Amino acid sequence: MSIILSIAKTTVGEAIRRRILLVILLVGILFLVIAPSLNMLTARQEQTVLISLTLGVIQLTSAVIALVLTVYMLPNEVERRTIYTILSKPVQRWQFLVGKYLGAIGALGLMIAMMTFTLLFVYAVMQSEVQPTLNLVVIEIPIYVLFIANLVALVALSNRLKDSAKGQAVLAALAAGLVGILYWIGSQSGMLDQFAVFGKTTSMFFVQMCLLAAVGVFFSTFVPPTVNFFLSGGVYMIGSLFNSLFDAVAANTDMPFAAQIAVKVVQSIIPNFQNFSVQNAAINQGTMIRGELFHYINLTGYGFAYISILLIVGILIFDRREV
Amino acid sequence: MSLAIETHHLTKTYKSRGGKPVNVVDDLDLAVETGEIYGFLGPNGAGKTTTIKILLGIIHATSGDARVLGEPAGNVHAHKNLSYVPERPYYYEHMTGFEVMQFYASLFKIKDDDLCRRLLDRVDLTNDMHRPISEYSKGMQQRVGLAQSLINDPQLMFLDEPTAGLDPLAHKDVRELILQFKSEGRTVFISSHELSEVERVCDRVAIIHRGKVIEQGHLSELLAGARTEITAKGITADLVKGLNVPDGVVSTVGDTVLLDMPESGDFNAVIDAIRQAGGSIISVIPRRMRLEDLFVKSVREAPDPAGGPTDDKQGDEEVTEVTA
Repeated sequence: MSIILSIAKTTVGEAIRRRILLVILLVGILFLVIAPSLNMLTARQEQTVLISLTLGVIQLTSAVIALVLTVYMLPNEVERRTIYTILSKPVQRWQFLVGKYLGAIGALGLMIAMMTFTLLFVYAVMQSEVQPTLNLVVIEIPIYVLFIANLVALVALSNRLKDSAKGQAVLAALAAGLVGILYWIGSQSGMLDQFAVFGKTTSMFFVQMCLLAAVGVFFSTFVPPTVNFFLSGGVYMIGSLFNSLFDAVAANTDMPFAAQIAVKVVQSIIPNFQNFSVQNAAINQGTMIRGELFHYINLTGYGFAYISILLIVGILIFDRREV
Repeated sequence: MSLAIETHHLTKTYKSRGGKPVNVVDDLDLAVETGEIYGFLGPNGAGKTTTIKILLGIIHATSGDARVLGEPAGNVHAHKNLSYVPERPYYYEHMTGFEVMQFYASLFKIKDDDLCRRLLDRVDLTNDMHRPISEYSKGMQQRVGLAQSLINDPQLMFLDEPTAGLDPLAHKDVRELILQFKSEGRTVFISSHELSEVERVCDRVAIIHRGKVIEQGHLSELLAGARTEITAKGITADLVKGLNVPDGVVSTVGDTVLLDMPESGDFNAVIDAIRQAGGSIISVIPRRMRLEDLFVKSVREAPDPAGGPTDDKQGDEEVTEVTA
C-alpha cells in the first residue's frame, strides 16, 4: 500500500503544478466569482439560475480537469521515461496504475474542494443584505477578507510548507480556518443547511469525476491522448445526456428489436453519469430527496463498482502492454 | 563464477510499417558474470535499449529466455537487487533532489532520510539536494540518477548511456563512480556509444548490430593485435594500394595518404617503396587497436541481411580495403 500511496502522492504533487490544469481551475473559479454580477434576471430567477449556473461551472470545469489530467497521465510517463525507473523497482504494474489513478482523483478532489469553497463564499456574500451597518463594517467585511486571505495563503504556501511537520500543521490550520469561517458565515446567516446541500452536490460531482477519471485511465492504457480525450469525453457526454433518449428508444415498441437491443447494450456498458447530477435539491430549495443517505450510498457504490471494473480491465491491458 | 544476466536465443520481433516482421533483438545469447563491468555496444537502432527493457521486464521477448540474478526477466523479486539509470533520466521536476531520493526509497519501502543524504553526498550533491530538479544541469540529473540507483544497495546495475551529453568533468565523475561500483562487488551492465569510456571501465564487451551479437569477449583479447600507421605525402593512394599489404587499409585525406597495417607487416619495405616513388614519410606510429576501431570494423563487416557488408562510410574520407 505504501508504494501505491507514494506514487499517488507524487502524482498529486505533479498535477497541482500543471499549468494547464491551474488555468482551467482559475477560469472556473473566476466564473464562479463573477457569476453574481449577471443580475439581469428577476430576484427569484436570479437565485435559481445562478445556483444552477455555478454548479454547472463546477461540473464542467471538473470534467475538463479530469479529462486533461488522465488522458496524458500514462503517455507522459512513457515519453519522459519516468515509468522505466519506477517499473525497474519492485513495483507491479497494477500498483503503478492504481497509484496514478488515486493521485489523479486526489488532485481532482482538491480542485473540486477549492471550487466548492469559492461557491459557498460567493453564495454567502450574495445572500447577505448589504446595509451600511456597523456589523457589516466591523465584522462581516473583515471576515470575508480573512476568508480570501486564508484561501490565497493556503494555495500560495502549500508547496513551500508541505514537507515539514510544522508546515503541514500550518496548512492544516489554514484549511481548518477556511472551514471555520464558512461555518461561521453559514450559521450567522442561517445558511448552514444550504451549505450542506451544496456540499452533498459537489461530493456527488466528485464521485462522478472519479468515474470519468477511471474512464480516462482505462482508455489511456491502449489509445493515444488525443483519441482518449474524445473517447472519454464522448462516453461522458453520452452517459450524461442520452440516458433519457435511450430509455425512450428501449421503451418504444415500434423500434426494431435489434435497435432496442443495441440501445440496451450501450446503456449497460456506458456508465450513467446523469445519476450523479443531484443539483436539483440545491437549485430548488426545499426539494427533498427521499431516502437521501441511502441514495447517496447507492450512487457511490454504483460509481465504485464501475471504477473497479474499469481499473481491473485497464490493469489487465496495461500488464500486457509494451511501454 | 555465477551469472548475473543470462539470455538464450532471445528474440524480439516487431512489425514494420509495411507489416513485415523485423527482429530488433535476434537470437541473442549473453552471459554477464557477477562482479564485472560489461559493455553493451552497438550503433543506433541495434537493439541495445530493447534488450535492456526485456531484461527489466518492461517489454516481453517474442521468444527465447532471459534470466536476471537467477530469476526470469521482469521478476519483481529480482528487482529488489537491481537498479536502472535510463538514458537522459527525467525525474518529476517539482521535486528536489532529496525528494527524488525519498520517492525512490519509498518504492523499496525504505524510510531512511540519512541514507538519501549519504547517497546524494556520494555523488557530490549535498549542497544542491534541496533545489528543484528543474534547476539541475544534465550532469547533476545524471548524478541524481546514479544516487537513486544505489538506494537499494543493488547487486546489478543497468546504466543506459550513462555519460551521454555530459561535459568532460562530469564524464570523469561518472567513470570514477562506475569503477567504485565494481570495487564494491556490483555487476554493472553499460549500454553506451562512448567507446573511449567503455574501453576505460569495462572488463568485457558485446557489440550488437541489427539485434545480433557480432563480437563478444574480454577487451584485452578483442583488442589484441597492434597496428602501425604510416602517413605519407607526395604520392598517390594507388601506389600504396599497389603494394598489396596484407590486411592494410589505405585512407586519403586531402594530399595525405594513410596506411594502417598490422604491426607484423613489413613496414620498412613500404617506407622504402614510398621514398623510391618520391614520397615523403610524415610519421610512423605504432598503435594499439582501440575499441572504436574494433567497433567500426565489426559493424562494417557484419553481414547485411540484404546481402554484402554494411556500408557505414561517412564524411569525405575514402576508405578502401587492400587485400593480398
